[in-house]
Amino acid sequence: MIKTKDVKVGDSIPPLRKDVGKYQPILYAGASGDFNPIHIDPEWGKTVGLGGNILHGLCTMAFVSQMNIDWLGDPGRLKKLKVRFVSPVKPEDTITIEGKVVGKEGDAIKCEMSVKNQEGTEVMINVASEAKL
Amino acid sequence: MIDPKFIGRKYSPMTYEVCKEKIKEYARAVGDLNPLYLDEEQAKSSQYGRIIAPPLFAAIYAREVLENWVLDSELSLNLPMIVHGEQEFEFFKVVKAGDVIATEGRIAEIYEKKGLNFISLETISINQQGEVVTRAVWRMVIRR
Repeated sequence: MIKTKDVKVGDSIPPLRKDVGKYQPILYAGASGDFNPIHIDPEWGKTVGLGGNILHGLCTMAFVSQMNIDWLGDPGRLKKLKVRFVSPVKPEDTITIEGKVVGKEGDAIKCEMSVKNQEGTEVMINVASEAKL
Repeated sequence: MIDPKFIGRKYSPMTYEVCKEKIKEYARAVGDLNPLYLDEEQAKSSQYGRIIAPPLFAAIYAREVLENWVLDSELSLNLPMIVHGEQEFEFFKVVKAGDVIATEGRIAEIYEKKGLNFISLETISINQQGEVVTRAVWRMVIRR
């Protein structure tokens, strides 16, 4: 598990790539109980102007949480996470999350992430976390 | 425009009992195979002593309050036009299998920006020991 002394501002966090399956929104709907038709019904997604069904933002945010915790080593170290959703994630997208340490005070660190799809479009902005080591 | 008089409106606490099988289902659904969420033997020998929930499992135990909010007939939100705009979580305590989490909500903001309507709910989730485990802000945008 990473130690305070080994972390410095500017360090990169190991990136995480997620291949979003065709049925990922269905899987997340089942696990979360969020069956909003914009997530599970491609026809409805088109009708409401989204071009198809879209993944739950909280599922993409879970990917970001995983990326942080895979690096932090202990889920209890993650203290804050915030994001702004700017572009929908669609089935069969590939999401790449990269990040770096932007602040450190004692054992408290701050990180910022970028979350992009296969076209390089940011699907979230203002993606920031805080952790205590 | 959603009437700003609803700012401060409260949604009473809803309780959720955290089940290890639901944690496993959730972890598999988001593709996070951390053994602390899935492997009972390994979880037992960890500092937590049992299966724990990933932080964003908060979306599961807060769900009922969020539903009560979004489906609140007095707000009459245009459901097909709602999209998730922003999300903030603050985690204070790790949630473990067997915990009973009570989540209550309060409308924190209602505003208009660039012709779009925004509304946010702040939720506070407390475990059976009375400890705050999570604070969250769920900010929705009503598209036109």
